[in-house]
Amino acid sequence: MSAFTLGWHIMKERLSAGRMLVIWPLLAIFIIFSSWGLSDPKADLLSGLTIDSAYDVMFASTAFIGLSATMGAVLISFDGISRDRLSGVLEIKLSQPIERSKYARSLLIGHWGAIFFPVLILNLFSLAIIWHRMNELPSVEEFFIYTLGTGLLLLWYTSIQLLASSWAKDMGSSIAIGLGVWMTFTLLWLVLTTVVAGLSGVGVENLNSSEYVEIGGMVDLFSPNGVYNHLLELPLTGVDRGISPLASTIAAIVWSILPLQLFIRRIERMHP
Amino acid sequence: METSLTLKDVSWRHTVRDYSSWKPWAKKDGPGIHSINLEIHKGQILGLIGPNGAGKSTLMKAICGLYDCKGFDKTCTSRRIGIGYMPEQVRWEGRISVRNTLKTISLMREEIVDVENIIQIVGLSSKSDHHLDNLSQGMRQRLSLACALIGNPKILVLDEPLNGLDPLAQRAFSNLLESLASKGVSIIISSHQVADLEMLADRVALLHHGQLLIEGTLSTVRENLGLDDNSGILEMICSATGIDPGDVSLELSNDDLLPFKQLGGEEE
Repeated sequence: MSAFTLGWHIMKERLSAGRMLVIWPLLAIFIIFSSWGLSDPKADLLSGLTIDSAYDVMFASTAFIGLSATMGAVLISFDGISRDRLSGVLEIKLSQPIERSKYARSLLIGHWGAIFFPVLILNLFSLAIIWHRMNELPSVEEFFIYTLGTGLLLLWYTSIQLLASSWAKDMGSSIAIGLGVWMTFTLLWLVLTTVVAGLSGVGVENLNSSEYVEIGGMVDLFSPNGVYNHLLELPLTGVDRGISPLASTIAAIVWSILPLQLFIRRIERMHP
Repeated sequence: METSLTLKDVSWRHTVRDYSSWKPWAKKDGPGIHSINLEIHKGQILGLIGPNGAGKSTLMKAICGLYDCKGFDKTCTSRRIGIGYMPEQVRWEGRISVRNTLKTISLMREEIVDVENIIQIVGLSSKSDHHLDNLSQGMRQRLSLACALIGNPKILVLDEPLNGLDPLAQRAFSNLLESLASKGVSIIISSHQVADLEMLADRVALLHHGQLLIEGTLSTVRENLGLDDNSGILEMICSATGIDPGDVSLELSNDDLLPFKQLGGEEE
């Protein structure tokens, strides 16, 4: 059997899990309501961002996706390995003749799909809302970059979380690592950026200064959410944070390969 | 007698945290199994007996290919193809049905698996659509056995399978194992009670502190150790090691009963 077949089966199992009753409304509130609010012509954004097109709405709504969908990835994957390990089921699974690397890939496909497809469905609803309120849709290219970026962001969080789940000896540590990683990249990254800027001699009094924006752009390459933002900025004109499209693409490739390889290696060497 | 699997000097040490070091990541070799020599015969039931911590589960996991240790006549991957493994006391839980659970496991094999047939063999037909959360302990044991039967294994490795089963279920379980053995399936079954294996096992292997003390038919083992037909694991270990049963305390039965050096093995 291919990793995709098993991954599809794991995805269906995950989608029927009780926690989806929490994740679906959480995603719906953040994704659909943010599109509704941001596509309002009277919307006055605190960040000073101006909304001129359908893609601007989608770009602005990524702030909410960065919070909700990544949290969903953590909630779906935090016990992806640890639960089976604690219950003894992992012994049965790892004693099967499937290659360990293939099993690791199927776990990743299954858990990633369980968060990506709900987000994709809600994004399509968002498009309908944007069209209804603005009478405008993003171009195919813009929607492709947006969907690819979101898919990659969720892939990075899923692989990091599954890796954490394979390290954790109990559920508590597993969820603690997951939440810790999520908080670092979503909430604490601004603090880290400010510290790096301060240590680099860049004034942190004005967060809109070009030096601070450039430092922020550089530091963002080390965060999944930051690379996600860099990718989504590609179709935007007039946005320059000093990071070339090539650098953003390389960072995205590194973020896609590194946690995944670490996870596969971990599963290959795991003793249940 | 045709041999299904041969073990020659199989050893494995668990890696455990080294509390004597200040480094949280410091590890050291822990308990394990040492120089196990054993032959698994086709269609025979081999009983692994020994007290808690003897190394029965570790040996079973090594046989199943969960530990990549040397000394087998088959590679890890080929052992996984031909062996069905039932771990001890799996806590099946979740809102997934019995059928879907078995389908997931069967997708980890190359061959097409008749899940319905396996459900029928282990007597879970009436529960096949039930969620795992709603299964009793006995049903969970049956589900674990069903997982072991996926892929028509040539060798079944069952770790304390009779735990948690009522006498009726134990009898049914034993009947099923005898029927599988008569079809040529080799079965390795562990227990810390000799009585569990009295009627079932063709041969027994006594393990203690990771070492194989003695192996053969139950009557031969007892005869060689100079024991009567009612003797259990305690008497066997005491006889093999020269310890007086009267001296056995909880402390003794834990770690100090048989230092490795007494059997010429690796000293801790």
